[in-house]
Amino acid sequence: MEVDRAKVGKHLAKIVGKEHVFTDRATSVVYAKDTMPWDVEEKNIPYAVVRPSNSKEISKILKYANEKLIPVHIHGSGTSLVGLARPKTKGILLDTARMKEIRVYPERGYFEVEPGLHIADVRKVLAKHNAMLPVFPGSELVATIGGTIAVNTSAHGVDAALGKPGDFVLGFEVVLPTGEVIHTGTESTRRPAGIDPTKFFIGSEGLLGVLTLLRMRLIPLPYFQHIVANYKRTEDILDTVMEMYKQGIFPPLFFEFLDEDAAKIGYDAVGLPEPIGAVAMMRIHSWSKAGAEERAQNFLKFLSVANPIEARIVTDPEEWNTIWSSRAEAGNYMYRLGMTFGSEITPRVDKLKDAFQDAKVIILNLDSYKDNEFISFGHIGAPTIHAYAFVRTKDISNEVKKAITVEMREKTEELNIKYGGCGGEWGLTAQRVSFLKKKYEPELYELLVKMKKALDPNDILNRGNLQGWI
Amino acid sequence: MDIKEQEVTKNTLLKEIAKCRACRFCVDACSLYQVTEGVESMAPYGRLQILKYLLNGMLDEDDPIIYSLYSCLQCGRCDRVCQAKGQDLEVSKLIRLGKYLLSQGLVKGKKSEKV
Repeated sequence: MEVDRAKVGKHLAKIVGKEHVFTDRATSVVYAKDTMPWDVEEKNIPYAVVRPSNSKEISKILKYANEKLIPVHIHGSGTSLVGLARPKTKGILLDTARMKEIRVYPERGYFEVEPGLHIADVRKVLAKHNAMLPVFPGSELVATIGGTIAVNTSAHGVDAALGKPGDFVLGFEVVLPTGEVIHTGTESTRRPAGIDPTKFFIGSEGLLGVLTLLRMRLIPLPYFQHIVANYKRTEDILDTVMEMYKQGIFPPLFFEFLDEDAAKIGYDAVGLPEPIGAVAMMRIHSWSKAGAEERAQNFLKFLSVANPIEARIVTDPEEWNTIWSSRAEAGNYMYRLGMTFGSEITPRVDKLKDAFQDAKVIILNLDSYKDNEFISFGHIGAPTIHAYAFVRTKDISNEVKKAITVEMREKTEELNIKYGGCGGEWGLTAQRVSFLKKKYEPELYELLVKMKKALDPNDILNRGNLQGWI
Repeated sequence: MDIKEQEVTKNTLLKEIAKCRACRFCVDACSLYQVTEGVESMAPYGRLQILKYLLNGMLDEDDPIIYSLYSCLQCGRCDRVCQAKGQDLEVSKLIRLGKYLLSQGLVKGKKSEKV
């Protein structure tokens, strides 16, 4: 279908004002690029980037898109690690960055926020009200609250300790793909029983609507204690996680680790001396200072179950920040030395060690690339295994980058099937549709397609993600 | 800068910009990103991407590209962010080099000479 870029731009300008529409290719390319390691291709470049300020404008944009049958791709900050953020087909890119109002209502027990506000900024505002945002992505400097809830990502947060971010959503304002504006949920701190349409949109990855206002419960800011533990081998950390669940011990809010190689790179990047072995880091929370201290002491005792070389409570906030940076920024620090190709395996917890060993074998025997290394770090207590193929060069062609990504995805998907997992952080469409089709009955994928079609008959929003186009 | 020097500069830029992971951690540090209410092509990340796709031939030199690159104030705040959390790139220096390459084209009378 031939689309006149200038004509689209002119129409969009009537809706949002000409200063908020870009039809130049340079701006379109910048928005199309995401963290996927290969270059943007012609098919990814939008006709126009539009930057609305409210739901009324979004409604008009979507009605226009339906009338002209032009796909619309929603953009938060483009930080998805599985390609959700890259438009799969030409269309209009809808940037939510201008929508960043936040209102905190302590007397009502909730806050309302527009989708484009960055997580770090939401956290700062809530901190003034002594409240915690239950969202912990590594990309929080720039990731948006809208994108985070649209993926319902746990990231550092251990689900069993706090729940998922979507558990704290009380309601939405949503613009449906056909342009109607609806409101869901409640203004009470008590969530609806029975059918709650709010849940349809949590984690819907922009396929069913554009979230234009999010209402979330305020969580009193807990007290934290931090533990760092060094182990001879990563396997000891895996044993600890398995034993923690088996013994029914309440998990820390964060239970992260760096394997032997990742620990060396991470510690070096933040200027710490080279650690021996693998490192685990935990954040313990409680709503009283004494409670947090008691929990931390008890957890420290429990850690002896797998004989760490050393395990201690870190009381100096500056020291903790440095140690934590080695983990929080590990992905970027590894990337400085070459490239990493990731995976997300969330096995049944009693199979954690088996899944980890299988992942290692897969990654050290790739067909698409030889001489890569295996490296792993991340949210092991969740449990999530981020098993990476680590390549110590950036000099690889786009084709090989794609081939490694696809092979990693397909082979680690098999582990999620074998060990009963699904994922818990990176979303389930875009590159992971093939997993959905393999893991579940064909009727499950058909159900998703029917739901999409019921709300979005012209397949306007984020076209290609539910199809699994790369 | 003669043609050979331009070629060397171009290759250096492409090699350095290839290190950018598109994490976008730098955007909030940029005053222009802030005053434009978050336009990504007016942010350090966007300028690097524009330079990359300009130098590899996917984009043609035009006014929006020049506006984007020349809007950089060279304050260096993005360098600090990239150093601490990103790929340790000297972002502002790369943009400066890119502008210099571009200006070489401008003085030769390309279509954007008016700018």
